[in-house]
Amino acid sequence: MSRPLQQKNTRILLNWLPLVMLAGSVFFYFLMRGHILHMQEQQLHLKQTNIWRAFLNSPGGMPLSIRGEYDILPDVPLSFRPTDRPRDTVLQFAGCPSEAFSVLTSRVDSKGRSYLVTTYISSTEVTHLMIKIALAEALIFLLLLAAVVIVNRRISNRLWSPFYATMDTIRRYDVRQNKPLHLAADTTVEEFDRLNQTLTSLIDNVDHAYRNQKQFTENAAHELQTPLAIIRSKVELMMEGPGLNEEMAQLLGEISDANERLSQMSRNLLLLTRIENGQYPEGEIVQLSRMVEKQIGFFRDYYENEVAETRVDIESDVQLAANASLIEILVNNLLRNAYLHNVPGGYVQIQLSRTQLLIENSGPPIEGDPERLFDRFKKGREDNRTTGLGLALVHQIGQLYRYRLYYSYHSGIHQLRVRFQPDAF
Amino acid sequence: MKLLVIEDEPSLLASITRYFRKEQFLCEEATNFADALHKMEDYQYDCIILDINLPGGSGLQLLKLLREDSKNDGVIIISARDSLDDKVNGLDYGADDYLTKPFHLPELSARVKSLLRRKYTNGATAVDVENLHIELNARAVTAAGQTVPLSKIEYDLLLFLVTNKNRVVSRQAIAEHLYDGPSDQAPGPEFVYSHIKNLKRKLKEKGCNEIIHTVYGLGYKLVV
Repeated sequence: MSRPLQQKNTRILLNWLPLVMLAGSVFFYFLMRGHILHMQEQQLHLKQTNIWRAFLNSPGGMPLSIRGEYDILPDVPLSFRPTDRPRDTVLQFAGCPSEAFSVLTSRVDSKGRSYLVTTYISSTEVTHLMIKIALAEALIFLLLLAAVVIVNRRISNRLWSPFYATMDTIRRYDVRQNKPLHLAADTTVEEFDRLNQTLTSLIDNVDHAYRNQKQFTENAAHELQTPLAIIRSKVELMMEGPGLNEEMAQLLGEISDANERLSQMSRNLLLLTRIENGQYPEGEIVQLSRMVEKQIGFFRDYYENEVAETRVDIESDVQLAANASLIEILVNNLLRNAYLHNVPGGYVQIQLSRTQLLIENSGPPIEGDPERLFDRFKKGREDNRTTGLGLALVHQIGQLYRYRLYYSYHSGIHQLRVRFQPDAF
Repeated sequence: MKLLVIEDEPSLLASITRYFRKEQFLCEEATNFADALHKMEDYQYDCIILDINLPGGSGLQLLKLLREDSKNDGVIIISARDSLDDKVNGLDYGADDYLTKPFHLPELSARVKSLLRRKYTNGATAVDVENLHIELNARAVTAAGQTVPLSKIEYDLLLFLVTNKNRVVSRQAIAEHLYDGPSDQAPGPEFVYSHIKNLKRKLKEKGCNEIIHTVYGLGYKLVV
């Protein structure tokens, strides 16, 4: 599972740092204990030396035993050899709880007599000290852990900030928008500089390829027009030829139809490319009501013999901020579709308000997926009267101005709705 | 009538001149900027058909020079550039009309004739064909004195056929002519037939001769 880098980083730190610290603590404890025991032993030896010296200097004037301090035991057998190592013991004092002591017993020979000198040091204080140090250490380790995590988060935040900036820029990048990509060239981190360089060159390449492709489409569509115009003019000359007979006329008609479709297609492709290239400046105020009325006027007349009824409900003075040519193309294509894909005696109904344009018409159902109706070269029906690009154009224009398109078909009635931006005025 | 056709594509140039020569126009040709400039400076034309993209210079430049020379030859721009800017520029520079490539030859012919009509009759005019009388300004048609009630589309259709009389006009050319917007947004030619049928019926009712002929389903021809 993927998590944010920072979370992951903290998680790893929190997983491992306590383990390392625990191991460190154990090691530290034993080290400290060793040192303290060593110190205690040294103290016992020192005490022993001091007591023995005091004993020798005051013959008979010194008690042989002080409980919790020392014991001097004279005349021990020769065979008795103490370990000469400190050991633990517990002494009971009257009226007090028993107390732990560290004890060292050594054999000392003096003037032909053997003595056992035992010295005591209370180990309770030492134990308390060790506990206090261990607690202090635990506290320090906890603070350290928190500090490490916080500092680490801050550092990684700062270190990775160029990376996040790059990500943000890339996410907002859209090859279709023709906007150059600006990634910081100097982020003070070499790796990120390299990342930015790599991304910049990658996107430059993509951009270049995309531009080339669009340029190619535009050029191709443009260049196609000349031969198409030539074919058209030759066909028109042949139509007037003296030798025209029915068979030839039919062939010419077919050539002409195919040529017209090709011509229409290449013009629509050109249009699509130009819209994609953003070659249609905005900033005009389109008088939509007037434009729609004018177009309806023509289509109603032109299709009067096929489509029986045109119902019109147009709010006056609806305006759009857009490019007039494009809006004209949008309206034209929608109306043409509504009239062309109709049934004898059918109707077309157009409603225009400030928020939407609704075109409803009777017609046979479309074949295939309505979702893909706006795709290029997707036709609702096998129909050689259309180029399959009309609705793609509508879609492209809609996308440019963020209009929403809705299509529905219900028992013989097609409904296409264009919702303008909420801020359409 | 004398025409100068300036077009760098020889094949298209040949089509245009051939089409106009059939109607007794005198056609001169030019395929490049220098050639066109010479001809424009040396002769007077009734109408110049001018392509914008020319080897050696822009057609718009030619137009500018022509107008600076105070020559009032009619100019129709034909250009593959269909952007609005070109159209506006062309008309600003003093072109009389603008036609986007690819165009139909009958459309070009209609534009040329309309231009010549405006130029030589100062606008107000009427056209007579057989027993038909067409008042262009009033957009009224009478057949043997009787008014023929025509819809806008039928009137445009009749005038287009009359302008191209004795010539075959294809259904596509008619459809594009009838639409008064950009030609690439014109509706398909499938329904031209029904308008022709209505037009013929209305003309016949008012006693006009059968002058509109169908050419093998290709197009129509108004025969005088």
